[in-house]
Amino acid sequence: MGDATRAADGDLADSDLMRRTAAGDRDAFTALYRRHQAMVYRFARLMTGCNSTAEDIVQDVFLVVMRDAARYDPARAALSSYLYGIARHHTRRRLARDRQFVAFDSRCSEVMPPVAEDDVDVTLERRQTLERLRRAILSLPRKYREVIVLCDLQNVSYNGAASALGCAVGTIRSRLHRARHLLSQKMGSAMSSDEENQRLSMRCAV
Amino acid sequence: MTSMQHDDHDLAGALDELRRTEARMQTPQHVEAAVLAAWDNAHALEATRRPRSFWREAAAVAAAVTIAVGLAQLGQQLRHAMQPAPIQPGNSRTLLLVGEPILQGEPVRMVRMRVPASTLTDLGVRLVTGTSGEHIDVDVIVGEDGVARAIRVGR
Repeated sequence: MGDATRAADGDLADSDLMRRTAAGDRDAFTALYRRHQAMVYRFARLMTGCNSTAEDIVQDVFLVVMRDAARYDPARAALSSYLYGIARHHTRRRLARDRQFVAFDSRCSEVMPPVAEDDVDVTLERRQTLERLRRAILSLPRKYREVIVLCDLQNVSYNGAASALGCAVGTIRSRLHRARHLLSQKMGSAMSSDEENQRLSMRCAV
Repeated sequence: MTSMQHDDHDLAGALDELRRTEARMQTPQHVEAAVLAAWDNAHALEATRRPRSFWREAAAVAAAVTIAVGLAQLGQQLRHAMQPAPIQPGNSRTLLLVGEPILQGEPVRMVRMRVPASTLTDLGVRLVTGTSGEHIDVDVIVGEDGVARAIRVGR
């Protein structure tokens, strides 16, 4: 397929790209992948706390798209909700499977994002806060983690989150409220624990 | 901040910052390569499978048609072979062997009988005229032991 067609793929609606993918159009599939991979990757990464697991989930999600593109019904849900739904399913499976194994280190070593050049102004304290927040999110029960990741970190609307998680908008609202409350508690206790550690280490130094 | 409850404002700020940090994250390039390789593999397999399955289906259909035609012809031939030539009782004579063959020089007796046409039909004699309810005169050739050896139909 030529460059003109390739450029046109970027302008096509998701439903058109899905239809063309179902018909075996590789360029349409590539355009879909490029349009939505980051969103799926971030969701999986925030849900699992591990880059390599998130990469596997992205592959799994797009393999499902490749296989079942014809089954997607744009009238039922936006493609992003559809993809979040698949990603959520694979994340759950992955987390359930990984629970059966005992890791050498309970935290995935890759959880911190690589430091970009424009991150140099980010202070150590802010990075610590972010790291604490990541850990707090990962420690949330899965149903609360999902809404925090979707609504607060991925900017998904309540309707979109409800569609992706297969529940009512009211449920999303209440889960989000509860999730933020839990998160706030965890962040508070994490910070006080950090301060306590700092105080103890200062006392030891004296 | 030492309070156990993190301030809502601080939490919102931290979440916002994490969202901005995460927004820069992209799936590594090798994942796209792997996904597209999976696409190529799947479609290459499909492409090689499609003609093969087409020819396989075509061969299966051809074989089925050949077998069906063959069976139909065989059935027709068998029907012809098993169907005795029609007999017109008044014009011709047919000898039906119904028991042991008649040995040369074996003394036999001939008994004339009148039997229902249906009996002859059961023996494989197809009568051109008459109905199965009609009675036909036949000559039964009986051996010395009293067992019928043959039936002669028609005159």
